[in-house]
Amino acid sequence: MKKKLLSVLLASAMILSLAACGDKTTSTSSTETGVSNTESSVSEEVKSDEPDARGLLNGKFVDTREISVELYDRNVDGGTEAGDNAWTKWIQEQMLERYNVKVSFVTVARWTEGDDINNLLAAGTAPDICYTYSYPTIQTYANMGGVLDLAPLLEENKDLVPSMFEWLGESLIYQDLDPNAGTLWAIEGKRNETCRINTFVRKDWLDKLGLKEPTNRAEFEAMLVAFKDNAETLLGADAAKMVPFSTSYDIGWRAANLIESFMDPAITDKELYVNGYDDRKFTENGTKEAVRVLNKWYNDGLIWHDFAVYGEGDTTEDDMIKAGFVGAFMHNYDYPFRGGKDSINATLAGLYGEDAKFVAVNCFEDKNGKYTKYRYSESGDRKVFFPATNDEPIASLCYLEFMSDPAVVEFLQTGEEGVIHTIDAATGAVVIQQPDDAHHDWYQNSGKNIDMTINCNGLRLSTEALTNLSLAYSYSDVDPADVQAAIEAAKLDSVVPKTPSVGDIAAETEATDLKGKRDQTFDKAVTAAVADFDSVWDNGMTEYLAAGGKAIADERLSAWEATYGSETMLP
Amino acid sequence: MGKKDKIAIPKQKTRWNVYFKRYWQLYVMLALPLIYLLVFKYLPMRYIILAFKEYKLNTKLWDMPWANVKGQTDYFKYFKTAFGNVDFRRALWNTLKLNLLDLIAGFPAPIIFALILNELCFKRFKKVVQTIAYMPHFLSWVIIASLVTQLFAPTEGLINMFIAKLGGTPIPFLDVPRNWVATYIGTGVWQNFGWGSIIYLASIASINTELYEAASVDGAGRFKKMWHITLPGIRPTIVVLLIMNLGHIMGGGFERPYAMKNNLVMEAAEVIATFTYKVGIQQLKISLTTAVGLFQSVVGLFFLLTANWISRRLGERGIW
Repeated sequence: MKKKLLSVLLASAMILSLAACGDKTTSTSSTETGVSNTESSVSEEVKSDEPDARGLLNGKFVDTREISVELYDRNVDGGTEAGDNAWTKWIQEQMLERYNVKVSFVTVARWTEGDDINNLLAAGTAPDICYTYSYPTIQTYANMGGVLDLAPLLEENKDLVPSMFEWLGESLIYQDLDPNAGTLWAIEGKRNETCRINTFVRKDWLDKLGLKEPTNRAEFEAMLVAFKDNAETLLGADAAKMVPFSTSYDIGWRAANLIESFMDPAITDKELYVNGYDDRKFTENGTKEAVRVLNKWYNDGLIWHDFAVYGEGDTTEDDMIKAGFVGAFMHNYDYPFRGGKDSINATLAGLYGEDAKFVAVNCFEDKNGKYTKYRYSESGDRKVFFPATNDEPIASLCYLEFMSDPAVVEFLQTGEEGVIHTIDAATGAVVIQQPDDAHHDWYQNSGKNIDMTINCNGLRLSTEALTNLSLAYSYSDVDPADVQAAIEAAKLDSVVPKTPSVGDIAAETEATDLKGKRDQTFDKAVTAAVADFDSVWDNGMTEYLAAGGKAIADERLSAWEATYGSETMLP
Repeated sequence: MGKKDKIAIPKQKTRWNVYFKRYWQLYVMLALPLIYLLVFKYLPMRYIILAFKEYKLNTKLWDMPWANVKGQTDYFKYFKTAFGNVDFRRALWNTLKLNLLDLIAGFPAPIIFALILNELCFKRFKKVVQTIAYMPHFLSWVIIASLVTQLFAPTEGLINMFIAKLGGTPIPFLDVPRNWVATYIGTGVWQNFGWGSIIYLASIASINTELYEAASVDGAGRFKKMWHITLPGIRPTIVVLLIMNLGHIMGGGFERPYAMKNNLVMEAAEVIATFTYKVGIQQLKISLTTAVGLFQSVVGLFFLLTANWISRRLGERGIW
């Protein structure tokens, strides 16, 4: 009895599920087509009574258009709602006034932006204007038919985007143009600040121990040893917490000055490009020896022992630096100044007095005795693309034009005088400060609102001179002199790499998890026993190359040769 | 089976009506879980076909082209790619290894715990212990993983600091693959044994107390009673749970390995779930990871059926 009842139930469940399954599929697909039908008829209607073919009258749409724009959400402590604050409202008002385009923002979490955009694209709900830092990602989308080709769009609407052409220039706009297919999947942004990485040391510790700032690797190492040996003097009861040099799982970034000093200073643009897929210089010639130095330091107890256990986004190391247990580290050229009152230097000053601070030093010499280091390329930052679901490509172009307008960028970066910036009386520099509580809605969730100025990364004021003058003043609650010194340190002997334009590299979309393999190799090599170092590094490298690293380098090599022939340097 | 069923079939239709009229409230109640299964378990299944197709954005499932190599249709392209991928093979092996170790260490733990609890006479103490043991089940793996890091980090972990203070050498709980596996398994057991014991306790409670009384009269001690009454009494429960666990031998959650991994132990920590996330979601290789998922399910089903078959062979009931 029971069994039969059960079997009947199961059978009915199966039948029900199958029937409903069929029903559901057909009904969704019919609604889908229904929607697209109405949409296309609407746009046809709009087109029927418009001044020019694009619906523009004197550069403004006759009928209100609606576009959505991606915006990073950094979930800033004490910040404002990423997609709804005074800045976003200002953009919305301006766009409506200038172009009669209604802008809405789609926020994606900054640290998982790739995953989020993947999901939005897969669901067909991606914003009309998207951006990301990784070109291979966009290429992957394009291969799946998910991206609009911008080449014909720009061709037909060049008159709408004069500021963009002026700001980015032909070469940058068409940098990703595929020479064979003629497609343009993305427009590169521009970096206006190209400083990249600095080495920082605790100035007050040096003074306490009567040491000078290190000027070469041997002195740097001696300094780390001195920190370690004098932990009692420097940290008192917390001596056990002493970390002479701290780093993170991302060794390629957090030891970049050291790694780059081991590269051949005479490296050609061609070689730099061929190995340039990895922005951590993993496959460059000298990197292994640089990491061997780190391995020695690690085994000598000079490097934070637990660094590899913590992953991306973890604040343990930052907390340690801010608590004053760390003697030296390498990071973004302005890292100790970021974050206003919560910045590393402001926190240290609050805890241990004004003298306690990190200063930038140059101490990693290449074989010619210069402090060679690589800055960011000016060309190429975030890459803006329009998903295939974008049904307002022209209005979206207008948004890019709007974001290229120097006045717009300047306002987004420095706001109204008295609210988030003042003019320094002595120098005339623009001093950026986060707003007071009364104007909290003008809080900048990202430094200088870089998340909003999508094709400009870095301060861009009315004149270049004012920009350069004001750079050091764009960090609140820290000493501008320290910032200026850090900028100069980051520029000394530095190379600004040029970016070739050779078209899409298919292998870059095919490799799996190269970044993970690279970081694992870095981390395992640093923490290996000295005797195991070679085998750990070589195994990791072999696996990296086999997983697609070699295929990418090979394809890049042939793409270079196809474009530039036997030339090894870019013009 | 066989004869009896054949005779019963013609009568079923009338019975169905009768049952439905009499118990329709129950059927209505049943509708809810059925709809749940339908929407969340059956409808998504049509996407399995992606394993044999080339995934395209903004394209309807049925319009996507079949998997092909340079235009040459090859339905199993993505299965071949997966098995040609070192990372996948490693993830497969790790999944099997970690799940098997989990089963060996984690399966008996709640049974032993339930048996011990059952022997406690002081009821209030029993309740307190039980409640405390349940608690970890309600913590998410993200929280547990950060607790683990706080406790077991190589030098700054509480335990290693303690060891260092006592003059010992810190134990690399998290940075050596083999030790990491032990930490991983241990944490899993800790999280689950309390919660897992509930079902055994319930099962023990349903054992006829007269059996124990009779055994006492016959002179059986605690261990004899445990061995001859309690354990046989809960054997069907144990078997059913074992079969269900074997069905998961190729599965396993995403959160636990993802939250606990670090760069030094990836060779042991990469499992199919994290591989699928990394390659499928982060790199949008959806066809490849659907193929992996399908393979995983089929192997899981195979294990389940085999275990069920063996259990029936051995005279137990099985799960159906």
